[in-house]
Amino acid sequence: MNAVALQRSPRVRARRLLLLVQVLLVQVLIATSFALPVAANAHTLELINGDVTQQIPVSDLHAISDTTFTLYDPYQGREVEMQGVVFQAFLIDQFGEIPPALHFTAWDDYEVTLSNWDDPNWYLITLEDGEPLSLRQRGPIRLVERDYGNRDVENLREFNDWVWMIRRIEVKW
Amino acid sequence: MTSKAKQVESHAVRPRPLVRQYRYITWLSLSLMSFLALMVLIIYESRWVYPEIQAYFSQTGNLSGQQLATRSRMYLQNAQAELLTDQPEQAAFDAAFMNIELAYGLSDMHIYRREYECSEPSLAVLNRLLTWLEVREIDRVNAVGELFTPIQCLSHIEMDQLDQRGAAINYFSESTRQHNQMLTYSSLLIFVLGLAFWGLHERQLHRTDRATRETLEWMQRAMRDPLTGVGNRSALLQDVLANQHQSLGLILVDIDFFKQYNDAYGHPQGDTLLHQLATIIGQALNHDAQLYRLGGDEFAALLHCPDSETLKRYCRQIIEGVREANFAHAAHPDKKGVTLSVGGCCFVANEHTFTLAYEAADKALYQVKTAGRDGWQVTE
Repeated sequence: MNAVALQRSPRVRARRLLLLVQVLLVQVLIATSFALPVAANAHTLELINGDVTQQIPVSDLHAISDTTFTLYDPYQGREVEMQGVVFQAFLIDQFGEIPPALHFTAWDDYEVTLSNWDDPNWYLITLEDGEPLSLRQRGPIRLVERDYGNRDVENLREFNDWVWMIRRIEVKW
Repeated sequence: MTSKAKQVESHAVRPRPLVRQYRYITWLSLSLMSFLALMVLIIYESRWVYPEIQAYFSQTGNLSGQQLATRSRMYLQNAQAELLTDQPEQAAFDAAFMNIELAYGLSDMHIYRREYECSEPSLAVLNRLLTWLEVREIDRVNAVGELFTPIQCLSHIEMDQLDQRGAAINYFSESTRQHNQMLTYSSLLIFVLGLAFWGLHERQLHRTDRATRETLEWMQRAMRDPLTGVGNRSALLQDVLANQHQSLGLILVDIDFFKQYNDAYGHPQGDTLLHQLATIIGQALNHDAQLYRLGGDEFAALLHCPDSETLKRYCRQIIEGVREANFAHAAHPDKKGVTLSVGGCCFVANEHTFTLAYEAADKALYQVKTAGRDGWQVTE
């Protein structure tokens, strides 16, 4: 290898630097995708309406979470500041009307079909105490009642309709 | 009749409808209320049992029926399996990470933190392990080892929760037994009470019936002449009113020289004669008429009278019947046996015309008497 050969023009060096950056970026992306596959997966909500399936980023849901309220969460045993969107309005926004029934699938494989959603008391929660919900916090999306009346907070059976870790919502017409 | 006797009769005859009906309704109401209470009790008890069963056993067999601790433990065991399977380390870590996160979410419960000391340290272990997995600062075998403590804690929670559920079932079973006992004894008691009230009601009903019968008997007696058994003046008036707007015949019969008969034979014999005459007159009228004793030696007969000829025929039959009987009368001024004077008239029945008919028949009777007795006359 000669000295001339060892000399690099600024254009070549810039090109090599750009290539290096590209390689590094790809490696970082690959590494990130392998290191946090769960987080990537749990950051979308799948909506199924007949033959149409759409993936909604949870970040989009954060953006439309326009209501904040404080609620005693019987599962956590403390007052929690929840932030989300009225589920009734969300359904109308997504499907044009309130479907008669919805089939929920959670990240923990829990599945349930529930109806009577024409009720402004239900909220789709995406943030808690100002932070996005993780799977550890039974997120990324949770369905809760804003007002659960005088139900006994010590009897968790009374809150069976709350759906955690929502992964997929399928409309049942 | 003395005033005291009148009082006694009046008291005996007068019904006590208000008091009797009040008691009758009360016993009946109590009886019905008892059976109603029995129904309510049975419905209440059956409605009590159903929600309890629903609460405890409705979710048996599905995912939400499992304990959160059970599901959490299963995810941790899945994580161990993923770490120990023959797969690339990255894939094993990713799968384990996912399972541990889910396990954490299902076990991070206020009720577990509050009631189980091992809960907080287990969650701390899981948190630390997740961090290590994220930054690859732990090998597979050590990661599997780290999970044993949380699994042990979750198993402990599961067993305790099962014990609690067993205790709840035992309590429910005991409560059900107590409710069954209460239902049985209460039902029996209420049923017996209902029967007792029903018995009292039946007794009261029987008494009421008997009192009604007695009242009717007294009323009938009040309408009868006790000596001859035929009706009295009140019965005559009642029968006239019961046949309003019908054409009736009224016949008045008077025994000739009855005072002399009594003087000659004595009053008991006079009474016997009255009784016999009542029978004779009844037979003479072919039982087509009602016979009444108006007092003393005066009888009256009421019959349907389509025309005056019918009335005349009956009058003639009465006279002839007594003549045929030929009762002896030693004191008769004309040396005859017992004879009668008979007067009659036809009228359309109502209260006002009866008075006029009575006067007309009496006038005809008077004419017979003034003409020498032992005969009959009808006012046209």
